[in-house]
Amino acid sequence: MAVTDAPKLITARFDQEDAHTLAGYESSGGYTALRKALGSAPDAVLAEVKAANIQGRGGAGFPAGTKWGFLPPDVSPRYLVVNGDESEPGTYKDRLLLERDPHQLIEGVLIASYAIAANQAFIYIRGEMPFAHERVAAALNEAYAAGYIGRDIMGSGWSLDVVLHWGAGAYIVGEETALIESLEGNRGMPRLKPPFFPAVKGLYMQPTIVNNVETLSNVPWIVNNGGAAFAALGTDESAGTRIFALSGHVRRPGVYEVEMGKTTFRDLIEAPVYGGGIRNGRGLKAFIPGGASAPWFYEEHLDLPLSKATVDKAGSMLGSGAVVVMDETTCPVRAALRVVRFFAHESCGKCTPCREGTNWLEKIMHRIEEGTGRADDLDLLLDVSDNLSPGIAWPPRQTTICPLGPSAVSPVASSIRRFRDDYVAHIDQGRCTHD
Amino acid sequence: MTDIAENGTEAVRGVAVTLNGRVIDAQPGELVINAAERAGVYIPRFCHHPRMQPVGMCRMCIVEIDTGRGPALLPSCMIPVAEGMVVETESPVTRKAQDGVLEFLLVNHPLDCPVCDKGGECPLQDQTVAFGPGESRFVEEKRHHEKPIAISDVVQLDRERCILCDRCTRFAKTVAGDPLISFVNRGNETEVNTFPDHPFASYFSGNTVQICPVGALTATPYRFKARPWDLDQVESTCTSCSVGCRVAVESSSNQLVRYLGVDVDAVNWGWLCDKGRFDFEAVNSENRLARPLARQGDDLVEVSWSDALTKAASALGGAKERHGSSSIAVVGGARLTNEEAYAWSKLARSVLGTDSVDAQMGDGLPSDVVLGLPRATIDETCAAGTVVLLGPDLKEELPILYLRLRDAVVNHGLNVIEISASQTSMTRYAAVSLRYRPGEAAVLVQELFEHAGDVDVQADLGRARALLEANNVVCVLGRPSVAERADSVVQAALRLRSRVPGMRFLSALRRANIHGALDMGLSPGMLPGRVSLEEGREVFTEAWGQLPGSVGLDTAGVLRAAAEGRIQALILVGADPLADFPDRDLARRGVAGAGFVLAVDCFATDSVRQADVVLPAVSYAEKAGTTTNIEGRVSRLHQKVTAPGTTRPDWMIACDLAERLGGDLGFETAEAIWDEIERLAPAHSGLTAQRLASSEGLEGIVAAGPSSILETTMDVTATATLPVDGYSLRLVSTRKLYDNGTLVQQSPSLAPLAPGEVVRANPADLDRLGVASNDRVRVASSRGAVVAPVEADAAVARGTVLLAFNQSGSGAADLIDVSLPVTEVRVETVGIGDREVSG
Amino acid sequence: MGYFEGFRITFKEMFKPRVTTSYPEELRPKPERAHGRHVLNRHEDGMEKCIGCELCAGVCPARCIYVRGADNPTDAPISPGERYGFVYEINYLRCIHCDLCVEACPTEAITESKLFEFSFTNRADAIYTKRELLVGDDGRPQRLPWELWSDDDEANTSAWVRATASSGRADYEGRVGWSAELGYGIRAPEVGQAGEDAVATADDRHGHGDDVGHGHGGGH
Repeated sequence: MAVTDAPKLITARFDQEDAHTLAGYESSGGYTALRKALGSAPDAVLAEVKAANIQGRGGAGFPAGTKWGFLPPDVSPRYLVVNGDESEPGTYKDRLLLERDPHQLIEGVLIASYAIAANQAFIYIRGEMPFAHERVAAALNEAYAAGYIGRDIMGSGWSLDVVLHWGAGAYIVGEETALIESLEGNRGMPRLKPPFFPAVKGLYMQPTIVNNVETLSNVPWIVNNGGAAFAALGTDESAGTRIFALSGHVRRPGVYEVEMGKTTFRDLIEAPVYGGGIRNGRGLKAFIPGGASAPWFYEEHLDLPLSKATVDKAGSMLGSGAVVVMDETTCPVRAALRVVRFFAHESCGKCTPCREGTNWLEKIMHRIEEGTGRADDLDLLLDVSDNLSPGIAWPPRQTTICPLGPSAVSPVASSIRRFRDDYVAHIDQGRCTHD
Repeated sequence: MTDIAENGTEAVRGVAVTLNGRVIDAQPGELVINAAERAGVYIPRFCHHPRMQPVGMCRMCIVEIDTGRGPALLPSCMIPVAEGMVVETESPVTRKAQDGVLEFLLVNHPLDCPVCDKGGECPLQDQTVAFGPGESRFVEEKRHHEKPIAISDVVQLDRERCILCDRCTRFAKTVAGDPLISFVNRGNETEVNTFPDHPFASYFSGNTVQICPVGALTATPYRFKARPWDLDQVESTCTSCSVGCRVAVESSSNQLVRYLGVDVDAVNWGWLCDKGRFDFEAVNSENRLARPLARQGDDLVEVSWSDALTKAASALGGAKERHGSSSIAVVGGARLTNEEAYAWSKLARSVLGTDSVDAQMGDGLPSDVVLGLPRATIDETCAAGTVVLLGPDLKEELPILYLRLRDAVVNHGLNVIEISASQTSMTRYAAVSLRYRPGEAAVLVQELFEHAGDVDVQADLGRARALLEANNVVCVLGRPSVAERADSVVQAALRLRSRVPGMRFLSALRRANIHGALDMGLSPGMLPGRVSLEEGREVFTEAWGQLPGSVGLDTAGVLRAAAEGRIQALILVGADPLADFPDRDLARRGVAGAGFVLAVDCFATDSVRQADVVLPAVSYAEKAGTTTNIEGRVSRLHQKVTAPGTTRPDWMIACDLAERLGGDLGFETAEAIWDEIERLAPAHSGLTAQRLASSEGLEGIVAAGPSSILETTMDVTATATLPVDGYSLRLVSTRKLYDNGTLVQQSPSLAPLAPGEVVRANPADLDRLGVASNDRVRVASSRGAVVAPVEADAAVARGTVLLAFNQSGSGAADLIDVSLPVTEVRVETVGIGDREVSG
Repeated sequence: MGYFEGFRITFKEMFKPRVTTSYPEELRPKPERAHGRHVLNRHEDGMEKCIGCELCAGVCPARCIYVRGADNPTDAPISPGERYGFVYEINYLRCIHCDLCVEACPTEAITESKLFEFSFTNRADAIYTKRELLVGDDGRPQRLPWELWSDDDEANTSAWVRATASSGRADYEGRVGWSAELGYGIRAPEVGQAGEDAVATADDRHGHGDDVGHGHGGGH
């Protein structure tokens, strides 16, 4: 496999200076897809997206068209919610989409809302992304002024209102039910699924579709070029292109749109147009393939293609598309501690195992890293992990309400499995062996 | 799959669930946790509470559930049963997960069980022993917070012990409707707390202590008073108001230390109000009367029972002999049990020969209305098509009835039409809230049906009219304000009834066992069992020997007669007319004018201090018997502690007095009295002691009485609007839950909660009068004047002024003249802040 | 049988050491851990160890202990923590000296001395209150006028057995599970069945968590 010559579907305007303005967007073909969609029936648009077989880009990878089809018919009002609460460590693709090409998202929102017959959409933007918020707000104002949003859009008789909501800084709000709670003005804590699947009982207990920014940004291209064209890219199982946020010990960290299924992790990390290889010519220790909650991959996984099925099968996930590379000098204990600390900090506190378990994991990891670990700490770590995520399997099972708790288990379990000797060395020598 | 109808015998209509390998029959829609419990399998839980919506937060109840997609660990408190579901509550996976959750809960839980009030009855302790790990593997420093912080005057919060189960916060938000406590911060730092400067000042805060599964919330009145293993417990009925909540009375070393709500479907669902929960302190009070007192000059001195009874009997006998039976009157009796009320009723009628007996203090409704109208139970009211509220603020006077109605509105869509003189705590839950001018409730009801009224209320009237079309309308009927006479309210109710066929009523009289006292004939013209004097004359003359010839006076009549020197002996049975009668001037003249005053009471109230002989009575939880609630539901009271000093039960005092007066009530025990009630009182026929003591009697049994009393007595026609004086406002006076009454004032934890005397008026009226909020104002009526601070309050209707009854200070009773239909007052500024304004 | 033969036993015993003593002028040492009159201990800083938890009263099979707790005054606390023993009474007409109260006490507040030589002339005197039970400022039991104390009564008491087996588990043999006592310091652990070797020094007492097995999950 190699770097493919697939077109850039959603990052095409990243180099265009004025893409964030309405004029700039329209000058490069903006809002043509909306016009085309409004000219056909909502069902036709839905069929096109289903044909594209686009998997959700937020993390779970659930096909968007199928999700839209879950809405119960004849229940209104129904809502579209855009999940722009991108907070997974190492993930920064939505931020760029929001900052560089806000109109593309808005057009996607319009088309999606039309397809699911919603008259109100909400764009939820992470609290720590003020610039994105500013750009989207400006774009929304322009779109309203131009008549793309509002009453009787382009004479179709269909109306849409878009509400821009600025988050208050909680990672867990990236979980769709917690995002809905937050939108309603409550504490950002997840609801239980079942019974509250958003497609049936979501925002204000009405049918609601929650989609990621990147997912919806793809919609205009799909409508313009047809679902089949999208599905032709990538593989049958993982269609289209996808943005990966590459970070860590690589020469060229950044955001890269690559064709799914045909590109490998090795391509992403080593190709000159992408990562350009590991810094200072060092070897690879491990890499996180899909955001902080994903189990780690190693040398032997480098040649796996960037496809949901293969990565899932190998015991991890593409998740939010954040690839974090660790070179051979990295202390695995410290790296895992960092990730665990993030989850402990971001636990919302609603359910017991996550509230207490993630924090306990952090405390144990901390004392091992500090050199005051105990001989039986590794067993304790694994048992506490097991109580959060029974069996420590992949895909994870959970005693918690949402997957945040098990997310903290991934780095612990991965690093202990692969680097047990490092842990033992920390405990035996009473210090971090990588200092 | 369990449908065995093939053989034609029976079909299992439930849902078949396999629980630990055994097929059980669950009800459709039932939660797994409840279905398992009914089948005898207890799944541990902390956040789940049967009276609240499940939240699935504590994760303690996770069990392996297989709905066909393979077993998964799911919270059994959130999952409804489904056909073919397989549930494993004891599998290794379930056990491991529950063990893990308990260990997580204990990670930051302090082990201060020895000093924790919950230690010994703590679900966390119990479930750790049953389902948890044997030892802690957590060696780090635990989470620390300041040890107990007072979140209200009666509740303390220890955030270190809190396991964040959301029970208290959910209760405050969804059950009490007082969302004053909430989670703050997040993750490991999450804690429950109040909002800055807003204490958890809910009338229902004590319930959070009872439902807290750990010792995080503790009650100040119980704090460190006892440990669970030295508590004695008996089930009884609360008599702090007349809702009749079932309660567990607990004592330690023969002292009351705690009441807990008992969950009965028909009444309180396990909840109690804070007044009912904490007023046991009054029973324990050192101010209790312990020995008989008799007047020597200006002083009351302790005397023996023999001397006191002899003195009282000779005064009563003398009055009867010289001035006739009609010169004797008995006022009070709502404090008594049914048996005691019956004994006093019998004493008054058959021995003293007077019909001037009244358990109401002029602040209720005519007894023929209360007993005669067709009645509804609380359950029936909550399930009614439409409920009309025509009475006092339920949250202030009958708090648990308020909770039940609020639940019916919020969770079951009950439509409520409120007819009141100012906003109440039910206003926000009412579908329509109609204001009437004090004294003119009947006028409003007339407008309601005659499509009259101001234009701006036409829409409301129309909606109310439409709601009254519903099947099954119930009216909650009480006295909305003591500053207006009862007639107008009675007329309004009767008019409603005449226009809404099949309408039933739920009484909202607040005083403890007032309904039992009325049932037992402690009301002029009434005999035990809800029959009138004439109706029951034959039966009771035969049973009691003699009955008074004519109908006697009610409390207002007695006081008026006494003031004119026509009452030679006034007996106050747990009555304090100087504090409770709406017209203090009349009460003062009446008590002073009576030739001889005998008081039977637990405390030396203002009225008791005026008495010539005082007989100390036993109090709540010191006697057994029965009590009757607003629905007419008879439930049992039990004794838990011994009474102080030489106090005696009221029925025994009645028997003693009868004996010294040459009569014999014929009772040796309270049980014997109930047997006679069951035999003679028509409404209580069949309500045997045996039935009341059976499992059927646990939530009480409603005494179904005849309702033929009413039709003869009431006049529905007359209604007139009262002339309006352009300069004056109409007084509305209602009670607050915490007032200057004995129960509250003798409970050290509750006494400071009485809000004190504040005049409330509409800001527009105050503007018009040139009075500013927080000024001190003089409120004057034709009777007298009161000086108190004023507060502008938009909830008060224009043209009215609100002054709570029986708060500290001179009080509304100084303003009210019971001979007038309404109380008109003028309001003027006398001081700004503490400064007096001259001239 | 001769005349002197009858005195054989007498003469034989005459030259053996005497086993009786002239009690009470002469007091014999009592056995280790003999159960006698209780004491209420204090911490080194003089605070009372009793927190008024009533566990002793709850476990007492003779129902001879009466305890009431109260809120600790924050300005002048009587014991550490929120609660202190406001009333503490033991009725010695009922007490059977079973020592279950000592076992139950979570703070090592109540222990028994070995004193049993005390008597009363009326029932009220038999009820010891906190005033009598509390140790003095030196941490040693008060020697009340009607009690016959010997120094031995304070040594190797029931407190001492706690110094070796705080949870009764064999794993703890030879380890001090006992906080310092005012007046006595840290008592050396009792010699267990393994003999002198098992005796650990007081300095060891912090580390026992490391090598004593956790036995996790034993609660099922």
